Amino acid sequence: MSTDWLLEDDLAPSLDDETLGELYRGAERGQLVLPFCPGCGLALELEQKVCDGCGTCGPAWRPVEPRGHVHSVTVVHRLEPGLVRTTDPYPVADIELVDGHRLVLAAVTPAPAPAIGDAVSIGFRRLGGVAVPAFHHEVSAAELEESR
Amino acid sequence: MNGDVGIIGLGRTAMSVRPGGAASDLAVAAVADALADAGLSRNEIDGLLVGSSQGVRPDRVGVALAQQAGFGDLRLLEHVEIKGATTIAMIERARLAISTGAARAVVCVFADAPLRAGGGAGSTYAHSGGNSGTRGLERASGVLGSVPTYALLAARWLATTGGSADDLCHVALAARAWAVHNPEAVQRKPLDADAYYASPMVSTPLRRLDCARPVNGAAAVVLAAGAGGVRIRGIGRDHPVRRRRAGAESWFGGGRRALDDALTEAGISRGDLDVLELYDPFTIVTLCLLEEYGFCEPGKAGPLVSSGALAPGGVLPTNTGGGQLSGFYLQGMTPLVEALVQLRGQGGERQVRGARTALVGGIGGRLDHHACLILEAA
Repeated sequence: MSTDWLLEDDLAPSLDDETLGELYRGAERGQLVLPFCPGCGLALELEQKVCDGCGTCGPAWRPVEPRGHVHSVTVVHRLEPGLVRTTDPYPVADIELVDGHRLVLAAVTPAPAPAIGDAVSIGFRRLGGVAVPAFHHEVSAAELEESR
Repeated sequence: MNGDVGIIGLGRTAMSVRPGGAASDLAVAAVADALADAGLSRNEIDGLLVGSSQGVRPDRVGVALAQQAGFGDLRLLEHVEIKGATTIAMIERARLAISTGAARAVVCVFADAPLRAGGGAGSTYAHSGGNSGTRGLERASGVLGSVPTYALLAARWLATTGGSADDLCHVALAARAWAVHNPEAVQRKPLDADAYYASPMVSTPLRRLDCARPVNGAAAVVLAAGAGGVRIRGIGRDHPVRRRRAGAESWFGGGRRALDDALTEAGISRGDLDVLELYDPFTIVTLCLLEEYGFCEPGKAGPLVSSGALAPGGVLPTNTGGGQLSGFYLQGMTPLVEALVQLRGQGGERQVRGARTALVGGIGGRLDHHACLILEAA
């Protein structure tokens, strides 16, 4: 039985995923765990195996601060039968995290789309029994500006 | 090497928006058409390069096509794969083989059949990609098919350049204005802005009419040394492989260098190009490439397109068969086929008068791979 508001269970990743297992097992503990270069500390892309900065092999996965802002955002209107559960268009955001990574994520719960520049925090959805990182819309860029 | 190798045959199947035809059957038919066009028999061909749609579809064509298409012994046989840059990579590979004497006459073919009974191409793409790796996480986040990815690019682009949906609309209208006169195009009904804005939203800001129309079809070309044909004047490649990190943009160069290298080899400049045949799976990509290739100043692609420059009668005839948007989406073969049609003077009502030199552009991934080809009429 699916507990996710957005997608069908068939789209669930595996805890034993060859490249992202660390991420999903970290998510299971409620932590956002992402890859860094063990040599120079550069934030690496999810499938990157060698640092493009210093050439050190092997990513070191560690928890990051679950905060960032929206690099770009779209609202998906195409609701593919058999894959999408929600009956309403849903936002997907490309997020720049404070520790340097970029992740394309859905919202934790149904919500209006954030705007580019808006602050988000990272939580988790449960899809087919697997915790998947997702964003919470925190505060709009305009509100951030006002508070300065 | 310049001028030594030409494209002496062009073949393609009908471009179908309905299910039917295995990719291998389509490839065989396109090869036969190209050989007939070149006036060559199978036993005169000693090289075969095969391109297919990347992704997980099990029936993609490969090197088995040599046997399926009835070829004899070959001296060059490869499955080439660099995503949307594959067609130009095949041309480059074929030219190298011919110019070094490794092969005499080489067929390059691409075939795809994403339309299945019971589901359109959008559904095929939405169900492709698997559950693992980065793509698996994206799919588990609702990024199904490639539209949301390019929608994120488009949203960022419009926000950064101060552009609007009208910029996307003008790209779609220009492509359709050309397609109206292309009997091979799958979308030929005249289009105006009202009809564009009535088109269903797929993933903001991209509407259905911002997206290419996939087909079941195939195209093939024959390359040989000397002796007539459309001349290959220059080729450039660039694979920026930039890292997507916080602080980096969603577009990251590479196309400019690919085009510069191709132009340098050809000994010509941008202003010498008579037609531009760009890889346009989404309207946003045309805007990105006009700027990336250096046909306008940064941030000016929207105004350039809105001026009518790309459309029939414009100063920069672009995607003159309707491109992938309104013509047909056969990946890198779409711009190559149209460039050959124009340079052979076979464009009928859409023929650009006096077209002698064409740019064929290819992109792969999410603007991660660039390939540019300069062709000249025989």
